Amino acid sequence: MISTNQSMSILRRFSFSILRSVLTLLLITSALYATVMLTPPETLASLYMPKRTSPRMTEEMYEQLLQDMVEKYHLDDPFPVQYYYWAGNLLKGNWGYSPNLQEDVFPGLVRRAPATLELTFYAILIYFPLGLLSGVLAGTRKKGVIDRLFRSIAFVATSLTPMILAIMMMVIFYITLRWFAPGRLGTAFAPLITAEGYISYTGFVTIDGLLNNNPELSLDALRHLAMPALTLAFAQWAILGRITRATVIEENEKEYIIAGRARGLRERTLAFRYALGNAAAPVLTHSILSAASLMTNVFVVEIIFNYPGLSTVGVKSLAFIPDAPSAMGFAIYSTVLVLILTTLLDFLKVVIDPRLRESA
Amino acid sequence: MGITRKFFSRWQNWLGLIIVFAFVISAIFAPLLSPKALETQENVVQSYLRVPQPPGPGAPLGTLPDQSSVYHALIWGTRDALKFGVGVTAFILLFGTLIGTLAAFLGGRVNTLLMWATDMFLAFPVIAGVVFFNQLNNTMLFNLINTTEYAGYSIEAIERFGLLESLTPLLSPFLRLNPAAIAFILFMWMPYARVMNASVMRLKQVDFVLAARTSGVKKSRVIFRHLIPNAIAPVLVMAAKDVGALVVLQTTFSFIGLGHSTPWATALLSGRDWIFSPKGIVTYWWVFVPVTVALIMFGIGWNLLGDGLIEAMNPRSTEN
Repeated sequence: MISTNQSMSILRRFSFSILRSVLTLLLITSALYATVMLTPPETLASLYMPKRTSPRMTEEMYEQLLQDMVEKYHLDDPFPVQYYYWAGNLLKGNWGYSPNLQEDVFPGLVRRAPATLELTFYAILIYFPLGLLSGVLAGTRKKGVIDRLFRSIAFVATSLTPMILAIMMMVIFYITLRWFAPGRLGTAFAPLITAEGYISYTGFVTIDGLLNNNPELSLDALRHLAMPALTLAFAQWAILGRITRATVIEENEKEYIIAGRARGLRERTLAFRYALGNAAAPVLTHSILSAASLMTNVFVVEIIFNYPGLSTVGVKSLAFIPDAPSAMGFAIYSTVLVLILTTLLDFLKVVIDPRLRESA
Repeated sequence: MGITRKFFSRWQNWLGLIIVFAFVISAIFAPLLSPKALETQENVVQSYLRVPQPPGPGAPLGTLPDQSSVYHALIWGTRDALKFGVGVTAFILLFGTLIGTLAAFLGGRVNTLLMWATDMFLAFPVIAGVVFFNQLNNTMLFNLINTTEYAGYSIEAIERFGLLESLTPLLSPFLRLNPAAIAFILFMWMPYARVMNASVMRLKQVDFVLAARTSGVKKSRVIFRHLIPNAIAPVLVMAAKDVGALVVLQTTFSFIGLGHSTPWATALLSGRDWIFSPKGIVTYWWVFVPVTVALIMFGIGWNLLGDGLIEAMNPRSTEN
């Protein structure tokens, strides 16, 4: 189906997409660093500060350490030089030490990432197919029963923001029914993933539980994932469904659909193969542009449900001790995740829509 | 049908207008609706129990666990909400419009470059921005305390006013800014710039703009008299919808501990433990329901208004 010529152009587009991600990261990190540069040099030095070795460090020693830092990392130099050294350190994995997390920022982020990815993955798994499906169903029969139903549910979903939805979920499913629970694992299961013999294949506890022959662990993880994933999915489903509906309505007015109908193609084929096939690219474009807001919602839901993902780093960094490294690390790491997501979606877009392959 | 008539012919738009109007009224007349200032509102119901009291005299919608009135928080919260929503949206609108228009007006490579940068900023999650600016705020506060050499000295500094005054001028304006507001302004203008850019690009080729430019009208005049007024409508609609959305987002952030607190978020937060108990939401409904309904209505009102404007301005939608 895909010729070599086309696969070349996919490849070119893919590498272009990666190049753009790298440029984006450069732009955002330099903007962040420039902002931190506005603050006193102590903050800048704290980006490199190692773990305090001695608790009895005197004022003088601290001053000396600061001076050394300033010299070592060129903190007196103009922005480009400073940024160069700082970015070099980032690439080496030296993201600084966080006094609030009491660990190095980068390993801390990497350790927490699978939890966030697991939540995002399940939410996407729920809302993407459902959003597309309901969008197409509602769009093909504009002002029909399904359309009205969809629009009112979507209206409710967007009005009840994730926060309120989350509170209601907690009240119904955790406090009243006791079906689901917040957090990531119950107290009976939490020690299992750090126990000896447990191998973390994917970092997703739901999958690792099965791979480690412990389906009960997977079930418990699912029980804890359900509320945040459903909350997230419900909010995102409404947005995706609305976009799909609007695009499908637009496509339905085009001539190829009318021609197809005149030739006697089934409505289902028209809707799902023809209209959705052409609507997929614009819908994915919208998903790409709103990937960052998806990430924001993921973090919000994580925090409300006490789910120990990446958001922990952001929230804990705001404890009383000033902690520029972890706030910075949180910002950069989440941007990287967004960029990975957008690159994947962009790739998917090209795979789905043949028009994008030929023009490149 | 004129835009105004079309707008007022749909009941949803009336509803949106009425909701927004109600919020504006309660914000303006807050001192009349709930006379006591927020600071003196503690203990409306005399009780040493830290249990939310049901609606009664002095507190029409009951009290929160700290015995402050829910009704009071609700009414005075509208002020904060409107101030934040309208203020931040105005800044976002300004940034987005200016960047989008300038890029389109300059055209060519500059446009491509600026729009690339705009798209790049879209990859930054706004929550990370809020955390980041909150962090900077904390750092500055910490440094401020540091420079006053901790407790003993800072008491001295507070007593001798001049000392602290002389230290703060550089830092205090920043400290007073809401990190959430800064983050929203810096990281949410992109959609506005994109929409504005697209419509100005289209408008640039229209005869009256070309005529103005060839007849030697100053560039700034072309931008501010011809381009922006004619292209701003869709962006204004976005802004109307965003006023609600931003307040809802800010309350969410405030609820999870990011950014400054607002009366609504504080009410939800302090009532949280009473909701999260068996039958809590039934028994202590007043700590949760009024504020939640207000927040939802705030979002819905502005959203309906925005949707109504889109519908009214769209020449293709003639039905209804």
